[in-house]
Amino acid sequence: MRANRISFRSGPQIDMPLLIGVMAISTLGVVNLYSATSVYIDAGQRAGIADIYVSQVYWIVVGGLLAILAAAVDYRHYERLAYFMYVAGLVALAAVFPLAADIRGSSRWLQFGGFSFQPSEFMKIFVILVVAKYLHNDPKTEPRTLIDLAVPLALTAIPVTLVMAQPDLGTSLIYVLTVGTILAMTKLQVRSLLWLAGIVAISVPLAWNYLLHDYQKARVTSFLDPEGDKTGTGWHAFQSKTAIGNGGLWGEGFMQGTQNQFGFLPDQYSDFPFAVFAEDWGLVGCVVLISLYAFVCIWAIHVASQAKDRFGAALAIGSGALIFWHSFFNMGMVLGVAPVVGITLPLFSYGGSSVLTILVALGMLMNVSMRR
Amino acid sequence: MNFLVQRSDVGEFRRRYRWMVLVVLVAFSILIGRLFQLQILEGDVHRAQARRNIIGEIPQATSRGVIRDAQGKVLAANRPSYNVYVVPELLDLEKTWPRVVQLMGLDPAEKQELEQKIRTALAAPGGRKSQQIPLKLDVERDVVARLETHQGDLRGVDVTPVPVRYYPFGELAAHLVGYMREVDADTLAELEGRGYRAGDRLGAIGVERRWESYLRGQRGWRKVLRGIRRRHDKEQLEAKYLEEPRRLEPVPGRDVSLTIDIELQKSIERGMRGQLAGAVVVLDVRTGRVLAALSKPSFDPNVVSGGSGKKAVAEAFRRLYADPLKPTLDKTISAAYPPGSTYKPFSALAALDEKIVTPKTEVDCRGGYEYGRRYFRCTGVHRRVDLYEALVHSCNTYFYAMGERIHIDRLAKIGMDFGLGAKTGIGVNPESRGRMPTRSWYTRRYKGAFRGGFTLLAAIGQGASTVTVMQLALSYAALANGGTLYQPQVVRSIETSDGTIVQEFPPRVRRMVKVDSEHLAWIKEGLAGVVSESEGTAHNEAFPDIDMAGKTGTAQVSHVTPRGVDPDKVWYFNRDHAWFAGYAPVSAPEIAIVVLVEHGGGGGKNAVPVAARVVTDWQKLKEKRLSARATAAKPAIKRSSL
Repeated sequence: MRANRISFRSGPQIDMPLLIGVMAISTLGVVNLYSATSVYIDAGQRAGIADIYVSQVYWIVVGGLLAILAAAVDYRHYERLAYFMYVAGLVALAAVFPLAADIRGSSRWLQFGGFSFQPSEFMKIFVILVVAKYLHNDPKTEPRTLIDLAVPLALTAIPVTLVMAQPDLGTSLIYVLTVGTILAMTKLQVRSLLWLAGIVAISVPLAWNYLLHDYQKARVTSFLDPEGDKTGTGWHAFQSKTAIGNGGLWGEGFMQGTQNQFGFLPDQYSDFPFAVFAEDWGLVGCVVLISLYAFVCIWAIHVASQAKDRFGAALAIGSGALIFWHSFFNMGMVLGVAPVVGITLPLFSYGGSSVLTILVALGMLMNVSMRR
Repeated sequence: MNFLVQRSDVGEFRRRYRWMVLVVLVAFSILIGRLFQLQILEGDVHRAQARRNIIGEIPQATSRGVIRDAQGKVLAANRPSYNVYVVPELLDLEKTWPRVVQLMGLDPAEKQELEQKIRTALAAPGGRKSQQIPLKLDVERDVVARLETHQGDLRGVDVTPVPVRYYPFGELAAHLVGYMREVDADTLAELEGRGYRAGDRLGAIGVERRWESYLRGQRGWRKVLRGIRRRHDKEQLEAKYLEEPRRLEPVPGRDVSLTIDIELQKSIERGMRGQLAGAVVVLDVRTGRVLAALSKPSFDPNVVSGGSGKKAVAEAFRRLYADPLKPTLDKTISAAYPPGSTYKPFSALAALDEKIVTPKTEVDCRGGYEYGRRYFRCTGVHRRVDLYEALVHSCNTYFYAMGERIHIDRLAKIGMDFGLGAKTGIGVNPESRGRMPTRSWYTRRYKGAFRGGFTLLAAIGQGASTVTVMQLALSYAALANGGTLYQPQVVRSIETSDGTIVQEFPPRVRRMVKVDSEHLAWIKEGLAGVVSESEGTAHNEAFPDIDMAGKTGTAQVSHVTPRGVDPDKVWYFNRDHAWFAGYAPVSAPEIAIVVLVEHGGGGGKNAVPVAARVVTDWQKLKEKRLSARATAAKPAIKRSSL
């Protein structure tokens, strides 16, 4: 790895493997988005959708610039600003309720000039920052109890509650999993682990009965019994599985997947782009893509392991966890091994807020990598 | 920048990294494993499903075979019925609808009703408003033309042609040709696997029903790509995804040529115009082919076959079933009547055979016959009559006297020999058997008390004897042709749509009736006299030179009034049935004819003119066709000599 570094001067060095990996994923994502939306070329009123891959390129460029910015400033500055950014994020999240544009039954977007954005996306970064800061400032070495983790858990619970109320199960799940991953780095007492298991066992049925909406429950039940309903909620899962299987070993070819081209894949540019990819490129293409995601995740762990301080390590793990959980859950959902929850595939799903968030997180990972 | 130097210990995290790498690897391996399962192990299943998703089969309609008469005139064919449909959601009620009303020429009441229908569909929950609803079925051609000219401005309005069975001659021979009905759920279950679908039509009665499997044809299909959005490369996509064979051509139904002569049928219809109800059958005595069969009153198969919608069909049937004259009943085949005096030739044949009478035997008719404590009446006072005169005058007394000496089973047997009281095997429409009562039948019926009077009545074709018009025509054909009893035929041949004959139906003899030719000659002499003698019961001054033989009959009806008849009209249903059964020409018979006028009164007065008129028309038709054939043959010869 040292050989890759530009070493004629000391100071921050660009992490080339990470950069190349991310650029590869972004390129595949745009190419796949082109195939996914090509079905709309002659679709009359919805023909505009065929051009969203161009917007996606714009977002990646903007996101890339933000990532450079995020990488350029020493990450230790974020540590100082973490609480401020966290509070600002909460304010934006709360502002969603009175101001939001209601899209498909849930209010997630804020109008800002000509753009609408999802505060819940950017909040992912702020949550990572604030939890990292807490761990950074709490330099324990002995095993922790649950009470020791009460503060970061509470810091997570506030945005989770706000996002659940939108309602957006997928995003709140990402908060929980990402924070959980960061906290998993700490040592916990065995007794505390048992307590944790107990709390989860009690809260899951409670959440099922009182927190989840009917459509969310339906998605989970249809995941547990995929053959039960091929027309209603199970439709998405059924058709995406068919699309993937149709890809075979080598795939149907770029823009040749029939499930997508004949309009059997719903949400193929937002939540199901992986089905399009799997149908077009087959098992071979999928292994390449999954390897790229796996590389970025493992690289993040590598960066964390070499970080100078706890804040950097937590930041790297947090960014990696964000990529990991997003990609794992999204692909798992498309493959029918996870329930259908609205979680995007990093750099594959269309969406400005999602692309910017992921790229800024990767920028911060790069930041930590450049300053080990 | 010294606040940046502050460092925390990262040692606590160290031991977790390997586990995290492991979790990442395991998680993504699960995904790859699942991909392997879906794409490699189950790949074929999913690929097949993906193909099923995009490939649809559109049924290709077949066309039902045409039914023609003996001369090739079309009796049943198909025509398009232009139906107007609207999609309520797409129809602009403010702008387009008034235009549609104007173009279709709807009257205010119709407009009101249809508008209500559209508004109901619009208000209904679910997807109904986005589906086509029928606005008006079977609209006129010029309406179609007007709607099609303005199609551009009529969003949401569609005109679709649907094939409908068409009977150019309407009521003529409707019972024999038949009509179509929509297949019901029970029949559909029965016909499973034979390509019927809900909404299909099948032959309900007559030839349409009997030859359904030939007429129907076979549906084809065509594979299409479903949900195709990109139309510019449609052909390439079809070439790529649609496997051969991409279509199965529909097989058109077979055409059926009947033995019926629709011109003769028309002449019968004209002849029966003055009568309310009845039946006429004309047969070829040399083959048993049915040349014409009329059952009156009739119905219009075009209406009941459903071209103008279910409501119209239901309404038509409601009216038909309420009619006491039973228009839906095929009175030539499905109903039996007492033959009356038309049975006398057969009684006479039996008596001759038993040597009970000879042509010279005479009976003194004083207007009746005393038997036991009853007095059996004759139609008049005929004085001394021999066999010939008894037939010519239709003297009952002669036959009563004969009946006193003959066994009733012998009378029944001669009738059965000639096919009376037994099913003919014509195949179309349910057959009534009729009845030739025997001693044992009477014993069963009247609990052992057989009386000789029954035989006397049976000798004149009254009492319990019943026959169908078709049976009687066949028996007279057998009299005319010297004793050959044919199976009646309605279908001459089955052809493919291009005219190639697939199957022909040669005449089928049921039985050679054992009858002494001398006896037969005496009977035929009498039947000729019935028409030609000036006192003959079938003599008619309007047709003085008619070349026809036969026997009249006046059958008494049991005085049971059908249900639902207006009491003021009961007298009609108590009137006798008028018969004429005969053949023509006398010397070399070609056709047999039976005329039954239900409740017509006397046979001579009511049935004979019909028969005479039909026979005259038949003669004219025959001559016309002969000369037409002669002129048509000449140029053919010229051409071949060139």
